[in-house]
Amino acid sequence: MTDTRRVRVSIVGVVAVALFSTLVGRLWFLQVGSGAVYVKAAKENSVRVVQTETPRGRILDRNGNVLVENRVAWAVTVSRELGEPRLSAVLGSLSELLAIDAKELRKRFEDPRSSPLKPAVLAVDAEVPEAARVVVQERGEDYPGVRIVPLEVRSYPDATLAAHALGYVGEINADELSARKGEDYVLGDTIGRSGVEAAYENDLRGAPERLTVEVDPAGDVVGDPLKSDAGEPGRDVVLTIDEGVQRVAEESLASAILQARTVRNEDYQAGFANFAAPAGSVVVLDVNTGGIVAMASFPTYDPAEFTGGISTERYAQLTEDDSLFQPLLNRAAQGTYAPGSTFKIVTALTAMQYGYRGPDDWYTDTGSVTVEGTTFHNAGGRSYGSIDLRRAMTVSSDAYFFELGRQLWRTWKLEDQERGLAMQTVARDLGFGAPSGFELGEAAGRVPDPEWKRDFARVLWDDPQKVRENEIWYPGDQINMAVGQGDVLVTPLQLANAYATLANGGTLRTPELGMQVRDVNGGIVRTIEPVTTRQVPIDAGQRQAILDGMVGAVADPSGTAYGAFAGFPLDQVPVAGKTGTAQIGSATDAKGDTSLFAAVFPAQAPKYVAVAVIEQAGWGSRVAAPVVRRVIEAMYDLPLTPVVVPHSSASD
Amino acid sequence: MAGVALPSTQARRATAEAMPLRHVDWVLVALPMAISALGLLMVYSSTRTRLAGQGLSELYYVQRQGVAVAIGVIAMAVAMIIDYRKLRDMSPLIYIAVMPMLAGVLLLGATRKGTQAWFQVGPLQFQPSELAKVALVVALAGYCHMHRGDLDAPRLAIAVGLAALPIALVLQQPDLGTAIVLMVCVGAVLVVAGVRGRHFAVLALIAVTAMGVAVKADVFQEYQLDRLTSFLDQSTVDTQTATRAEYNLAQSKTAIGAGGLTGAGLFAGTQTKLSYVPEQHTDFIFTVVGEELGFAGGAMLLALFALMVWRIWRIALLASDFFGTLLCIGLLAMFAFQIFENVGMTMGIMPITGIPLPFMSYGGSATIASFLAVGLVANVHMRRFS
Repeated sequence: MTDTRRVRVSIVGVVAVALFSTLVGRLWFLQVGSGAVYVKAAKENSVRVVQTETPRGRILDRNGNVLVENRVAWAVTVSRELGEPRLSAVLGSLSELLAIDAKELRKRFEDPRSSPLKPAVLAVDAEVPEAARVVVQERGEDYPGVRIVPLEVRSYPDATLAAHALGYVGEINADELSARKGEDYVLGDTIGRSGVEAAYENDLRGAPERLTVEVDPAGDVVGDPLKSDAGEPGRDVVLTIDEGVQRVAEESLASAILQARTVRNEDYQAGFANFAAPAGSVVVLDVNTGGIVAMASFPTYDPAEFTGGISTERYAQLTEDDSLFQPLLNRAAQGTYAPGSTFKIVTALTAMQYGYRGPDDWYTDTGSVTVEGTTFHNAGGRSYGSIDLRRAMTVSSDAYFFELGRQLWRTWKLEDQERGLAMQTVARDLGFGAPSGFELGEAAGRVPDPEWKRDFARVLWDDPQKVRENEIWYPGDQINMAVGQGDVLVTPLQLANAYATLANGGTLRTPELGMQVRDVNGGIVRTIEPVTTRQVPIDAGQRQAILDGMVGAVADPSGTAYGAFAGFPLDQVPVAGKTGTAQIGSATDAKGDTSLFAAVFPAQAPKYVAVAVIEQAGWGSRVAAPVVRRVIEAMYDLPLTPVVVPHSSASD
Repeated sequence: MAGVALPSTQARRATAEAMPLRHVDWVLVALPMAISALGLLMVYSSTRTRLAGQGLSELYYVQRQGVAVAIGVIAMAVAMIIDYRKLRDMSPLIYIAVMPMLAGVLLLGATRKGTQAWFQVGPLQFQPSELAKVALVVALAGYCHMHRGDLDAPRLAIAVGLAALPIALVLQQPDLGTAIVLMVCVGAVLVVAGVRGRHFAVLALIAVTAMGVAVKADVFQEYQLDRLTSFLDQSTVDTQTATRAEYNLAQSKTAIGAGGLTGAGLFAGTQTKLSYVPEQHTDFIFTVVGEELGFAGGAMLLALFALMVWRIWRIALLASDFFGTLLCIGLLAMFAFQIFENVGMTMGIMPITGIPLPFMSYGGSATIASFLAVGLVANVHMRRFS
């Protein structure tokens, strides 16, 4: 190598040495020479105090089966700071990546219900496959402002099972937030919106974590906290619901309703159309605790639809679209119905307690009762001859109770107002006409009396003449009420609870879904004890007479539910039952009858009450009774009888 | 001594010296592997929380980079086996092979961060400009070797022309950083090749004028100029109003500065873990070293790089032919400038350009090309006696 080459190679070497020296010098200046300046800057960059929700508690059935739990769902969020035209470009790329229409994404971005302070959630869960997550991570520069974040969402292992009892959750909104001022909620938190999710919100939510944490440039929490108040994870709520019974109740109810829709209503006023049978419900109560073993309402909804927020359109559809029959409504507690003949236990107790007619007194049923020119007929145009209370319950004579209604009215009108309104008193004692205190909330129902009718007329009419005509407590009002018609309205839950009170000898309890609250380790935080509302004086002999009549309704060949229980092993599980077929609507607006059935079992030592109420479906014996039968079979591990709604005639 | 003709001691020595495998510069070969190992660790540190936060494997980038390093080591071995003088003879072909790739990427390449520099084949990306750096050095060294001692003005013009074509193509992508690296490599090769002082001065003048015209004529995007000039005024950076380049630089300096003498500790750097430094696993990988390993770690890494550059420089002097010397010098310039530019930009003494730190930054093409380059230098060392 020549010397000049050597010199030139050396020049390159010298330059390299200079470069490296510069780097080391600069490094020393930045890291050692600058003291704590950058350390401080780094800390200010990244330390914040934030609050995070703890995992929400699970909801279990009475046997510990999981009804609601949590799982992680991935969500795609977009920063609200993007601004046009970058936002449009990002929505366009996301639309392609996620295969969701760009207009839909734009709508979600602009959804007024979401917090303007947090990135907008554009896609959740199944909409965000792993392939899409990889692309966003790898090609982040193509998706500015886009982040993939994990969300903890509710998971429903049994899909729609017990949806009305469980309820659903949503993101807390501004109104709820201000209503809960002082509590530890922040915008974006999850809150129970209905059902157990709402009723046991404080237990399920637990206490949020408060952490001094490091955040990344987007403000998101990363890594282990510097200082932490761990909060408390949500507690599990154990329900009185039995998953298996609940499932059979729902299946049987749905089956009966779908079949009823194929049956022609033989009432000429209905134009011989098929029954509409839009909806129905089933309630199973433990008569000794008030615990709800099953609570079904049809039609139902899928609480998973609320995962990640339900669209405004879908929510409007669920609540306003008449063709869906209000699937969010829990008809078991919030539907109010004329109870029809199932109300006769009230009339019967009234007659015996207030000395109108003893259990063994005979009454001659001629098929009708005429009062002041109006004739009230037995259903189906039958007459039962000489009958006592048991027989009247078994065959469901209306005339027997019409006559009692007439007597009550006469007493009210001519002698003793209080004794004349004894049926109202007994009804209220048994829990009708007022909320029971059920955790999930309920309709009050209605026990009509002269005072109510006067007030109602004044609300209904402006014309003083009309008010005068309609405020009168007519004999027909009391007579109709005696058979559960007219203005009396009950919820299926109230009906079950009244039967439970009769069955247990007179203890009216608050129906409950909650049984126990447990911590995350399964330790019992508290047991939800049965709540006694009041003791109702019920004479044991009178109670037995009613139950005997109800046993006959199921077991006696002339009983109204005999057909529905054909082949049922009554020797193993004796059942006392009462059918009900309530007329609704008017001459101008004919609707199918409400089909009801209430059962107490085992009849000799009652443990449970089961009630089925199905709207516009016809005879109680044909539609509601087979549903209850199947539920009882499920509870005693008997072979399940398919629900068959007969097309041929049967009477109530 | 009759009968069997034993080889004389001298002959045996000559044979031994001609056996290239006995003269491998193990220090040189080991250095890029050691630096790559550190690089993998740093890539892991800077991406794991971000990946985990999105439900992806923490090792996603490390695995991909690990594959690139493995391929790179193989490429280095292959580059050592084939006699580099064959490369010298084939240098025109190498030049001709690379040009279509640079042209093709402008037509068919994928665009990322506004630069059309990648061929996308399924999940794999290939950046031809990384290979072009090595190829241009080989080609230019070959040309200058051919005309050694006689590099007059017309030949110099041809050499500059040869270099200008790939540089122009890379500028079209546009990848200003790589173009500058190419220019520096060309300059170094020409200096050692014996370009006369006044010729060199003219070339420098032309280059500066061209740059000035380009800036005036809005050839560059505003963000490119932003990046180039943001290091000039670093006195006040308000993170709310800062341009992206100013923000990058401020976060980069904060991360390195927070490291102090001994660093926050591996995986313990808050700015790194929390992804405060943009592009941290690629262009700003040095900030991870700075924050987590401190001055001790940063200086040690620079020392490893310096050691590597010194070995290359030493081989430039030991080379058995002028082509070998020029090859080493071109690659030395490539490494030294990339290291200086990349580390310098993270510390605010050089403009921000998208140049990776060799063996450290995440990126397959650059890693493989760098290993290939070291392989060629080692090749020159192996055959210094043959």
